[in-house]
Amino acid sequence: MAENVKQFKPLDPLLHSELRLAVMSILVGVEDADFVYIKAQTGSTSGNLSVQIDKLSSAGYIEVEKTFKGKKPCTICRITEKGRDAFAEYVDTLKQYLAL
Amino acid sequence: METIERKENMTTENSLRIISETMERSRMAIAKNSGKTILMWGVLVAVTSIVVYFLWSKTGNPAWNLLWFAMGAIGGVFTAVNARNREKVPVNEISRVVGKTWMWYGLLTTAFFALIWVAALIRSKWEQPGVINVNLTMIIVMMMGLASVVSGVVMRMKSIVAFSVIATLLSVMFAFLVNGPEQILVFVILGVVGLVIPGLILQNKGKSLKK
Repeated sequence: MAENVKQFKPLDPLLHSELRLAVMSILVGVEDADFVYIKAQTGSTSGNLSVQIDKLSSAGYIEVEKTFKGKKPCTICRITEKGRDAFAEYVDTLKQYLAL
Repeated sequence: METIERKENMTTENSLRIISETMERSRMAIAKNSGKTILMWGVLVAVTSIVVYFLWSKTGNPAWNLLWFAMGAIGGVFTAVNARNREKVPVNEISRVVGKTWMWYGLLTTAFFALIWVAALIRSKWEQPGVINVNLTMIIVMMMGLASVVSGVVMRMKSIVAFSVIATLLSVMFAFLVNGPEQILVFVILGVVGLVIPGLILQNKGKSLKK
């Protein structure tokens, strides 16, 4: 009987968070995006977004480039191959859960 | 806008909703941004058309068509200034291809007329100032050239873009300078430089990926 029970892969805990998932959903479709754009698209606070970006960056899912736009500091985020693979796997697992 | 701040227990449905809504919102923001540029160029083309029509019909001098070059320069400056001033919107695959397609259309068209102009001066074919006799072969060559350039842009292959541009410009010159049955040989240039060489580059790239 136990053999008939379908085994579900666990969802990546790093992506299974609203804000981090939203950030990855933005970055997966673009070449790169700056902090201001991500903040506007997610409607998050700067503090919370910074924390989540740091977590994604520490996991190697995104690259963060700190630069200047004129005299203003500018943070540019870019998804990595590892991040792209993790996102694809997360979506595949979701499909498995939802039997899509 | 709905904010994403909560750390609630995420359901799988909720995850899918976040992914699809965020992607769609971002896609719309990028599309809206591209729309501004297209709108600006649309207004410029319409206004230039009316101005050229008015001046040409009043003076009878078709050389007023040279204002199209001025329109290109004005549009280019506006696009650059606008891009610098506005909030940075990222580039996705669609906006990249749309932007590059129009950019290459503008560059190839400008190069096309500049080349024909020079060739006409050299060959003393300038029957009437500002009037260029364009033949069907040249139009086919330009359209084929643009298709090849866009293919290179989509595949992110700079070498294909470069060979396509060279092939198109050489072919346009050839089609302008040579008439009669020999003109059909233009497709040898276009075929070899614009398609065979890029095809070989792609094949080699494919082989190196397999290894």
